[in-house]
Amino acid sequence: MIEGGTRVLMADNSSSQPHIVRALFYLQTRLAWNRLGSRLRRLRQPKYLVGALAGGFYFYFFFFRSVFINVRGGLAGPRPTLPEEFIPLGESIAALFLLVMVMLAWVLPRKRAAMAFSEAEAAFLFPAPISRRTLINFKLLRSQVSILFTSLIFSVLSTRFGKFGQVWLHVAGWWLVLATLNLQFLGASFAITRLMDKGITPGRRRWGIFLGVAAVLTAVVVWAHGAIREPVTEDFGSAPALARYLGQFFEAGPLPYVLYPFRLLVQPYLAQDLSHFLVVVMPALGLLALSYVWVIRSDVAFEEASLDLARRRAEVMTAAREGRDWTAMQGPQKGRRAPFRLNPNGSPAVALLWKNLIASGRLFNLRSLLLLGFSVTVFAFVVSAGGEVSPGGWSVALGMVTITVLVWTLFVGPQLFRQDLRHDLPVADVLKQFPLRGWQVVLGEMLAPAVILTAMQWGLLVLAACFFTTLPGNPEALPVANRLVIAAAAGLLVPLVNLLQLLIPNAAVLLWPGWMLTERGGHGGIEVMGQRIILLLGQVVVFLLAAAPAAGLFAMVFLLLKFVVGWQFALLAASLLAAGLLAVEAVLGVLLLGRWFEGFDVTAESREA
Amino acid sequence: MEGLTKLYGEFRAVHELSLRVNGGEVMGLVGPNGAGKTTTLRCLAGIIPATRGDIHIAGHDMTREPIAAKRQIAFFTDEPRLFDYLTVEQHLAFTARIYQVAQYREIAQPLLEELEMADKLKALPGELSRGMKQKLAIACGLLHSPRVIFFDEPLTGLDPVGIRRMKKSILNRARAGAAIIISSHLLHLLEEVCSHVLILKRGRKVVDGTIEGIAAVFAGQTGDASLETIFIRATGEGDEDLDAPAGGK
Repeated sequence: MIEGGTRVLMADNSSSQPHIVRALFYLQTRLAWNRLGSRLRRLRQPKYLVGALAGGFYFYFFFFRSVFINVRGGLAGPRPTLPEEFIPLGESIAALFLLVMVMLAWVLPRKRAAMAFSEAEAAFLFPAPISRRTLINFKLLRSQVSILFTSLIFSVLSTRFGKFGQVWLHVAGWWLVLATLNLQFLGASFAITRLMDKGITPGRRRWGIFLGVAAVLTAVVVWAHGAIREPVTEDFGSAPALARYLGQFFEAGPLPYVLYPFRLLVQPYLAQDLSHFLVVVMPALGLLALSYVWVIRSDVAFEEASLDLARRRAEVMTAAREGRDWTAMQGPQKGRRAPFRLNPNGSPAVALLWKNLIASGRLFNLRSLLLLGFSVTVFAFVVSAGGEVSPGGWSVALGMVTITVLVWTLFVGPQLFRQDLRHDLPVADVLKQFPLRGWQVVLGEMLAPAVILTAMQWGLLVLAACFFTTLPGNPEALPVANRLVIAAAAGLLVPLVNLLQLLIPNAAVLLWPGWMLTERGGHGGIEVMGQRIILLLGQVVVFLLAAAPAAGLFAMVFLLLKFVVGWQFALLAASLLAAGLLAVEAVLGVLLLGRWFEGFDVTAESREA
Repeated sequence: MEGLTKLYGEFRAVHELSLRVNGGEVMGLVGPNGAGKTTTLRCLAGIIPATRGDIHIAGHDMTREPIAAKRQIAFFTDEPRLFDYLTVEQHLAFTARIYQVAQYREIAQPLLEELEMADKLKALPGELSRGMKQKLAIACGLLHSPRVIFFDEPLTGLDPVGIRRMKKSILNRARAGAAIIISSHLLHLLEEVCSHVLILKRGRKVVDGTIEGIAAVFAGQTGDASLETIFIRATGEGDEDLDAPAGGK
């Protein structure tokens, strides 16, 4: 037996620990100060300063301008409020939403209570002579920073988009709701742990809750059936009338009593002015205080589960920071099937495609893409046959949706499918060891997202060709041959557009790897957000510049040939030539990026960062 | 390697460094933290471009024939760099394609058996212990039978049996004719496996030669010198501890 060598956290909560409180306060203030200092210091680097300015402008114009500059009321002045007749219904719906949230906190958890400590905090604080109650207080106080920030963002969003109520009252209202919910979630997790200690399994707990909810719902339905009349036309005549009718359901049976505490909680947010706020805030504060007392008086051992949680969070953070597949850290994963058999002979660039297709997941292997393509084609022809019966109907509408998705994959797809140098930047030194030319690495890296996107787009083009039995607004049937010509012309262009689109972010990786590295976990902030905005705008501008010559060539050839060989052949010829020009640009781009890759020195960036 | 210099802005990570390692030789690269060991190895492996200097690997100029030079190299880092989403066998297939090793299965099979990984073919790196990851990195690195091998802190994280195997493996490769450079702080390891030692300090060469040769130079009054003594005397780091009794004896 070991005596004195090991200890458990002190459950004795009676003694006050002012020195510990001071130490924890010191820890938090120093951490915050040092974090702020390092953020400010890195603004000396232009890439962060420019990013911070861009991010600041974005935030100001998109969010805060509407808060701070109010043409009618000056700084955060009064705004039009939610119409009075909607307040009871709004209050009831919000209360019901909070009730559901709290119920879920009782239903969902399967594990013991765990508080979110970092690994360093757990390593320093758990073995230290600190009472459990002090630790809970520490966590609760620290969570206020994020709750306040979230309250601010929510308030700004509701003001930005909703334009009702006073902003600072909204901030206080949001804070009360979020802080109380935070305490309720924590209290529920502690209570669940105690139930587990008493042998009550999650299954039994859920049954108990289910029976309680069923009893309340039954009472509401029975009461409403007897007391509330069927809706009549007048109830749908105006929004206030509808609100009044629906509001009756929230007064049915036990529901008003069940919702009462939650109503108290949302009332400060819905207060129309300061005097009203001061009246309704007291009961809400009372609820907050009761929740706090409930949590702080729960004496539940959370250390072991918290250590496990801290370890898992650290693993996920590390993986995200290093650009690894952090989702793999969340549970056991199996190896993914290779999309095709990789022979040792052949172009080495294909090995990189093969590797990145595996990284893209099970969904995007060659077999599933072929299967998807086949299914889409069969489905499209079936739909197309139906479309012939009623030309210009839902088939064309589906065609429009397909084209919208296609355009979306062209412009947003390259941002989503990042299994290229953006993904492999953390292992750039491994790629540089390979006996490959720079262009081979760049091409191999970009092929996977290009192949995936192209396969999706070809599938969508087939689908669109089948759906567009007529042109929108034109009842005249569009011959299949014409549809296929348009699809083929577009099909020639999309792979090269994809390659060009992918060249731009990959060039950004090689030119400004520091910008990309800061995108990884743990390097957030307004400056990183600004960097992303700049990169996105840059991508749009560069793409437009790159696509302009091909677009010009396309237009010229099409207009010239249309009258000579007909629009179908003109379209194909114009697409072919435009695709050729895009291909030349793509080849030159890959060669250029290859040269940059050969001279790429990621260690220089790491030093700088 | 002749006159290698690597600059980061104004900072000289490596300065006018020259060295030569012949086939069958094992050179130990030692130096205090930040001396430029890893930077030197990365330049030699073609991972980062040298600011100045010539690097020849098995007769190939790294600047003019980087592909041919890299085909002869294996570089093992202290932290094995693997792809999270590739299984053990997928790593081998991928490496074989990159290095164009036609009959890689015949080479991989005995390698995997020697490294006790034959039953882990379907495992992802996340399912492997640190030592196993190291073994997988070694299997991939040796698949193309490199003539030049760089080890950067090869024993980090290995258990005693793993360390013993690694030393044996290094010596076997050297006997087979490979030129090997090992960067490590474990001086007793270097004493056991290295024929030559190069000591770096702040990017500059301080000492270079065979272990016996430099031991004779640094022997001092005692008549013999361990690599630790040589290191401390050559770098001037921890000089005050040199004459103090160790471990309170």
